[in-house]
Amino acid sequence: MELFAIPLVFALIALVAPKSKVNYVGLIGAVVSMVVSFIHVANFSPDQYVSLFAPDFMLPFGLTFKMGYDGIGLFMVVLTNVITSLILLSNLNREIAHNRAFNALVLLMQFGLLGVFTAMDGIMFYIFWELTLVPIFLISYWFGSADRKKPLMKFFIYTFVGSLAMLLSFMALGTYSNSFAYEDLLAAQLTAKTAFWVMCGFFLAFAIKIPLFPFHTWQPDTYTVSPMAGTMLLSALMLKMALYGMVRWMIPIAPEALDTLSCLVITLGMIGVVYAAVIAIKQSDIKRLFAFASISHVGLIAAGIMLFNKDALAGAFIQIANHSLVALGLFLAADILERRMGTRNMYDMGGVAKLAPKFGFWFAAVAFASVSVPLTSGFIGEFLLLKGVYNYSWIVGLVAGTTLVLGAVYTLRAYQISMFGAPKMEHFADLTWNEMLTFFIIMLIILVVGIYPQAIIDFVGPSLDLTIESVKGAKVIVQ
Amino acid sequence: MGADKILLTILALPLIGALINGTLGKRMPKAIVGAIATGVMFTAFALALTLFGSVHKQQLVHLFSMISLDGFQLNARLQLDSLSIWMTLIVTGVGSLIHLFSMGYMSHDKGYYKFFTYLNLFIFAMLILVLGSNYFMLFFGWEGVGICSYLLIGFHYSDAQKGIANSVAARKAFIMNRIGDLGLLIGLFLILSQFGTLEYSELADKLLIDKIEPTTWMMFGITVCLFIGATGKSAQIPLFTWLPDAMAGPTPVSALIHAATMVTAGIFLVVRSNFLFELAPTTQDIMLYVGLATSLVAAFIALRQNDIKKVLAYSTVSQLGLLFVALGMGAYTAAMFHVTTHAFFKALLFLGSGSVIHAMSDEQDIRVMGGLKKYIPITHITFLIGTLAIAGFPLLSGFYSKDEILAHAVMHNPMIYGILMISVAMTAIYMFRLYFLVFHGNFRGTSEQQHHLHESPLNMTLPLMILAVLSVFGGILNLPGVVMKSGTHWMSHYLEHNTRGLELIETHHLSSSQSMMLMGAAVVMTLVILFVSFVVYIKNARLAKSDEELKGWELASNKKLYFDELYNFLFVKPLEWISVKMHAFIEVIALNKSVYGFAGLIGKTGDIVRKWQTGVVSNYLFWMVLGVISLVVYYLIKF
Repeated sequence: MELFAIPLVFALIALVAPKSKVNYVGLIGAVVSMVVSFIHVANFSPDQYVSLFAPDFMLPFGLTFKMGYDGIGLFMVVLTNVITSLILLSNLNREIAHNRAFNALVLLMQFGLLGVFTAMDGIMFYIFWELTLVPIFLISYWFGSADRKKPLMKFFIYTFVGSLAMLLSFMALGTYSNSFAYEDLLAAQLTAKTAFWVMCGFFLAFAIKIPLFPFHTWQPDTYTVSPMAGTMLLSALMLKMALYGMVRWMIPIAPEALDTLSCLVITLGMIGVVYAAVIAIKQSDIKRLFAFASISHVGLIAAGIMLFNKDALAGAFIQIANHSLVALGLFLAADILERRMGTRNMYDMGGVAKLAPKFGFWFAAVAFASVSVPLTSGFIGEFLLLKGVYNYSWIVGLVAGTTLVLGAVYTLRAYQISMFGAPKMEHFADLTWNEMLTFFIIMLIILVVGIYPQAIIDFVGPSLDLTIESVKGAKVIVQ
Repeated sequence: MGADKILLTILALPLIGALINGTLGKRMPKAIVGAIATGVMFTAFALALTLFGSVHKQQLVHLFSMISLDGFQLNARLQLDSLSIWMTLIVTGVGSLIHLFSMGYMSHDKGYYKFFTYLNLFIFAMLILVLGSNYFMLFFGWEGVGICSYLLIGFHYSDAQKGIANSVAARKAFIMNRIGDLGLLIGLFLILSQFGTLEYSELADKLLIDKIEPTTWMMFGITVCLFIGATGKSAQIPLFTWLPDAMAGPTPVSALIHAATMVTAGIFLVVRSNFLFELAPTTQDIMLYVGLATSLVAAFIALRQNDIKKVLAYSTVSQLGLLFVALGMGAYTAAMFHVTTHAFFKALLFLGSGSVIHAMSDEQDIRVMGGLKKYIPITHITFLIGTLAIAGFPLLSGFYSKDEILAHAVMHNPMIYGILMISVAMTAIYMFRLYFLVFHGNFRGTSEQQHHLHESPLNMTLPLMILAVLSVFGGILNLPGVVMKSGTHWMSHYLEHNTRGLELIETHHLSSSQSMMLMGAAVVMTLVILFVSFVVYIKNARLAKSDEELKGWELASNKKLYFDELYNFLFVKPLEWISVKMHAFIEVIALNKSVYGFAGLIGKTGDIVRKWQTGVVSNYLFWMVLGVISLVVYYLIKF
């Protein structure tokens, strides 16, 4: 339970802490809960299910309050805590007007995310899922750029509609089982038709959150107008809820409909991969460019998940971690450029690499990680995903593979225009210590995973095996 | 120390060098930075030499398992056999000399430590490429060298005039290579799905011992994908235009990466996969003709280039084409022989051009050079040796290695031999043109440049001299049968001895009279071209034409046959057009407008419905009465 309590307690402390110290309070809160999650990892063996909360009563309509994690869940918990810590670390020296509220909201977001990844009850999952919408909306609304209102309205309505579809699916499921506990939902036998509609409900929610083409139009605008921390939370963590949701909820609960829908989702994912990458090539707003790049990358993950075999799923989880870290690095770089040059337009930048060599180096490192070069986690993730997609159909594999080329085109173009050439200004402050540390940790994890990916595969492997088996028809008894 | 430890040390040394210089280099004096980087290289080379004689059988050094899933396993594992140690020797040997040269060449550069960090890092990646025991490791090295190449081509990215051009060239190289990499990656997926492994030796076992017979289509697909990868890295049609642009990098980089080592990775890939290619005759033919076309096209373009490095760059492309012709004919050891001698003389020529550029105060246009032989005598002599070697002058290394490929061509198909001879002749023509225009005649530069002319320091000329010696005597490695009764083809035997697949391939041997005739033809041709060039450029003192005077074939050659313009028209512009239009029409209009339109519709509906809520009781009463009357009417009609 301390897993959830820490972010909440520190969120409360942040609300009353002195303004000059509150950024540190937020960071400490995130780091402490990260350390706690490491302790959980140390006491965990991957084939285990750990129950965090399982009261012996249930509410009349079937709410059981069950919380717990297996390998997948704990993996996401750790990811959440690491990423939140890094977000607060990179924000440490940012001057934010209402930094009490800001830090409290980020920690509240962390709390919500932890709930999402450990919920073992459909209703709990839905509650935490919706809970995360509140802090992220407020972070973007209170701290975003001047033109934020319309895009955020779009974002809110979009995701809310998706959530309602998911709620409908849960309600439909409730009529098939006596409780909303995960294992009961798994055990429920659905007719093919029901399964199809249930999966569609989930899919709409997840497709909007990821976002998949053509449900993505809220994303570039929202990423662009949100403050750095908001964009980071959205891209590094919030969309991972949806990818996780696909693996944990959507497919195992309605496996009967997997074959029907997988073709559609894979197609949409592939369209997104190419479509967003091509559009990214000619973007001039650096944040928008990275937003489209994100759509392109996650399309492949979603397609890989729909294949639902172990190779592709292992690749998906490696890529989930990788995408979080890379997105963090890229949006940090974009924010550094925006803050110090007063513009997001790349054509007004240039020559920064010469003025700020440290920034030049670390931005380049993250850019190459984003292009998925070998030795980075992105390469392993994309290798496994592309292999999976390729085995599904070689045409689809070839289409997906263009991401290798197009990714290099837009990323290197962005880097070159913003960083190379003759300097356009006299002074550009190089990285502060906390920004440098953020980049360093990001790259360290990326390299470690890129060199020894088996660590992640072993960690999530047994849970994946169980889930895959349950989808294959055998009942999985959690606990 | 066992062979495995030595191998690991060889691999680790350049990485350590890169790490030291990368982290501490900024604060260390240049001499130490250079000494560390060069020192690790020479040590690695010495260690590789100790392994060279002791390779008796193929040996695997398992490091760790990177990915182990149900269907397959991908290992970090090294393989020591004669092919890998041969490549290691070239990479570390030529690499050492180029490092040494760079200590002098880059001495005025602010990014000195960065340069050596990248250079060491490149060697590390290249060693992974050649030492890995599977395609997965190869791919790691393959992309690794691509990144180092990118960093080094764009090394002077902030240069006031050329900064943008340099970084554009770097980007072009990386992206074109990526296209090839995609092919290679799909090749890997195909191999994995067909054989379930990426290990060379396991693959060879399955094909050569278990006699698994995949379909012809599968073998064709696999090998074509691998070959597409090779066309990217080894600059073959259609992916060759990046290499000449890559000359934007500092000259030692051109010598090391874009002449001697990285660009031969494609050749190495095919030689390594020889047992796959032997099962795909169609791919071999494709390879042969692509190589032939590249060889001709690049040699033709080189005829009228005026940038000293561009001439050498196109020459490299052309020589690589020749190598693919050899591979297409199954002449793997002949190709490796030419890779080796080419590494010697092309590195020599590039470093020599670096020495020239250094002397000329960074001038690269051969139209303003001339008469340099008396100012830079050592560079002149060594450059001459390099020129003679690549032109196939008798008894020099290039003569033997080229002859071997030509001999295979005669056996394979006399037509191919004929076409190759055209390419060989053009090579001699552009090289002698280059040599005479740079070193003979009168100096045509500014008086300021003339004033600065100076021979390079010893750390630059020493590598030139060593490479010159190697270029002269390199042929001894693989003497043809006509020269001696025994002890010939030493290198072929060495490679065949324990490189999988190669031992099974019979090399064709011509009778000695045929061999003598071929050699005679080549010698006569080279001498005639040398004589004609001498008459044209020395006797008649002809100079390179200015851009305005060029027309006909000369203009086409000078403009690189308009390949860049063609690609721009066919690929770059359309892609950018699609990007802009797709954003304007699909993203903004079709998707966004429809979302807002839907939202607007809801709003409009609300507006209309709101008007009914007037708050005036008589209105509500009116509607109520109307409703009641309607109902009554409805039921009256219904019953």
